[in-house]
Amino acid sequence: MRLLEYQAKQLFLKYDVRVPQGKLITCADDLDGCFYPAVLKVQVPIGGRGKAGGIRVAKDRSAATTLYPSLLATEVKGYYAQTLFAEETIEIEREIYLALLYDRANNSPMIMASGIGGMDIEQVAHEEPEKIIRIHYDPFLGVQPYMLRRLAKFLQLSDTAELVRVIKGMYAIFTEYHATLVEINPLAETPVGLVVLDAKVELDDKAESSQAELYQALRSEQHFKSSKTLTAAEALASENHVKYVLLDGDVGIITDGAGTGMLTLDLVQDEGGKPANFCELGGLANPDLMHKAIKVVLANTNVKALLISLIGGLTRMDEMAEGIARYLGENKNPIPIVVRMCGTQEEVGKEILRSVGLTPFYDITDAVREAVSLAQKSK
Amino acid sequence: MAILINENTRVLIQGITGTVGAFQTRIMKDYGTRVVAGVTPGKGGSRMDDTPVYDFVAEAAAEHEIDAAFGFVPARFARDAAMEVLDAGIPLQVITSEGIPDRDMLTIIHYARAKDAVVVGPDTAGIISPGKCKLGVHPDKMFMQGRVGILSKSGALSYEVGKELTENGIGQSTVVGIGGGPFWGLSQTEVLKMFQEDPETDIIVMLGEVGGKMEQEAAQYIKAHVTKPVVALIVGRAAPEGAQMGHAGAIVEGKEGTAQSKIQALREAGAHIASRPADITRIIKGIGG
Repeated sequence: MRLLEYQAKQLFLKYDVRVPQGKLITCADDLDGCFYPAVLKVQVPIGGRGKAGGIRVAKDRSAATTLYPSLLATEVKGYYAQTLFAEETIEIEREIYLALLYDRANNSPMIMASGIGGMDIEQVAHEEPEKIIRIHYDPFLGVQPYMLRRLAKFLQLSDTAELVRVIKGMYAIFTEYHATLVEINPLAETPVGLVVLDAKVELDDKAESSQAELYQALRSEQHFKSSKTLTAAEALASENHVKYVLLDGDVGIITDGAGTGMLTLDLVQDEGGKPANFCELGGLANPDLMHKAIKVVLANTNVKALLISLIGGLTRMDEMAEGIARYLGENKNPIPIVVRMCGTQEEVGKEILRSVGLTPFYDITDAVREAVSLAQKSK
Repeated sequence: MAILINENTRVLIQGITGTVGAFQTRIMKDYGTRVVAGVTPGKGGSRMDDTPVYDFVAEAAAEHEIDAAFGFVPARFARDAAMEVLDAGIPLQVITSEGIPDRDMLTIIHYARAKDAVVVGPDTAGIISPGKCKLGVHPDKMFMQGRVGILSKSGALSYEVGKELTENGIGQSTVVGIGGGPFWGLSQTEVLKMFQEDPETDIIVMLGEVGGKMEQEAAQYIKAHVTKPVVALIVGRAAPEGAQMGHAGAIVEGKEGTAQSKIQALREAGAHIASRPADITRIIKGIGG
């Protein structure tokens, strides 16, 4: 879950890291009592707000009144804000980039920093990699004093104490909230010290159950609209917790593994077909999940043939066949379904499939060819 | 020999009395895996078939010599279960859980490093050394004993390739599932090193997928250190950018992590590139394996 900027800044404030004075604007009347000239910023859970025109300076209350409706109507990559955050303007001497995150390459948490702030960090990494420092630390022992001195030297900051305060706050947020990213971009050097101008905090949704109340509270505070509308299949998938990625072809695909799912997609493409989706059931699939997955994939009306490719280890073929049979029992004339089945409890599964009129394939390439050809015939 | 496990490996199963745990444990035992003990908190003192069940790993370890642990544990308890295994001094464990929080997984990985223990996974089907030991949920008839080592991120893809090779009379020394990420205990590079050093492995098959840079690192290692032939199959050529393809680690971000970039790195490192399981048979027969 990505926090909105103002939510992230509330966390920084809680941990004694300096942020500009700000006020949440939920209606036009809230524009009273802001610190003018004020920076008005749309609160959406995505970057690129400045480029999209979602950050504007209002010199006074009357300018803010004029800007307010246009900011709410500003689209930022498919999102529209319903709240704004109004902040005092800050005298900036220099902008810095600072982040805490996990480095996938060596399984470690790290501090990443650059003296070039306010830019897209990936662009800096690409164009001037020497301007970025990565300092890995032990997850048990945390950030050591020498690392901070090294960081201060790299960033040419004279006041190490200031930097320590910022990193301490970031570290507290990173560890206490199960964050996967705590990023300040930019961190401004100002006459009064280091100030967080913009912040991005991402929480690890895999840890949601360990902080359910916090998630609920944060979600209830997030008000924005998305112009992205889900298709019927995507909405059904999300409702039923089915792993589903919509694609633009006509061969529907369900697999019981992620790797075999990607392989099936590749093979369909190699055989001249076009996958309509990726859908993987995972190791602990049961008849119910298979039944739901078929409904999800067939909710996409572009699908002309459905290919179910199964190679069970943890997944039991008898249970998968049961789910397929249940679907066929409820839907008498669906589009053609091709099933490839082998693995745990395969014989029982195949028996169930035959009893509902399906002839299971054993070889994946044969099944793929059949599905691609059926989809092409129906055109 | 074989790598990581063999016919002498004594195994502890965490979550042995659950529906899936009991079902899969019976299959492992039927295969010949030496399951010496099980753990389910609250079920200590009972038995799963003839296997004694304990409340804690340390209690089991006090009564039995244990070489490896295998867990059927929900993701939210995975860290606790893994730490218990590490504290009991068990040198190898397989973590099957999917969806373990990042911080928990890194804690496990770092603690394992400190204890000099090997963690395989998470989100893995496990390891099988055909004819010797199965520490996993593989459909075992798709594998047979032989001299090809397989390493795979995806469990199901390793079954697919195992089936293909077995039906063509090509056996395997060990099949290692390293899991779907996004963080990995044992890496592709570490498994490559084990296969390179294993006298019972002649050819290495590496099954990778989109996302991250692990295959690129493996390619560098192959170029510098692997003298045995490597056959690589990278899936996800048809995967769109930005979508999560089932595994937590399988996501193409910008130009990074594409199947194409991995295939190119592996080809440059001298690996034979397969586009589908049947290609692997053809390539191995061509090599003379």
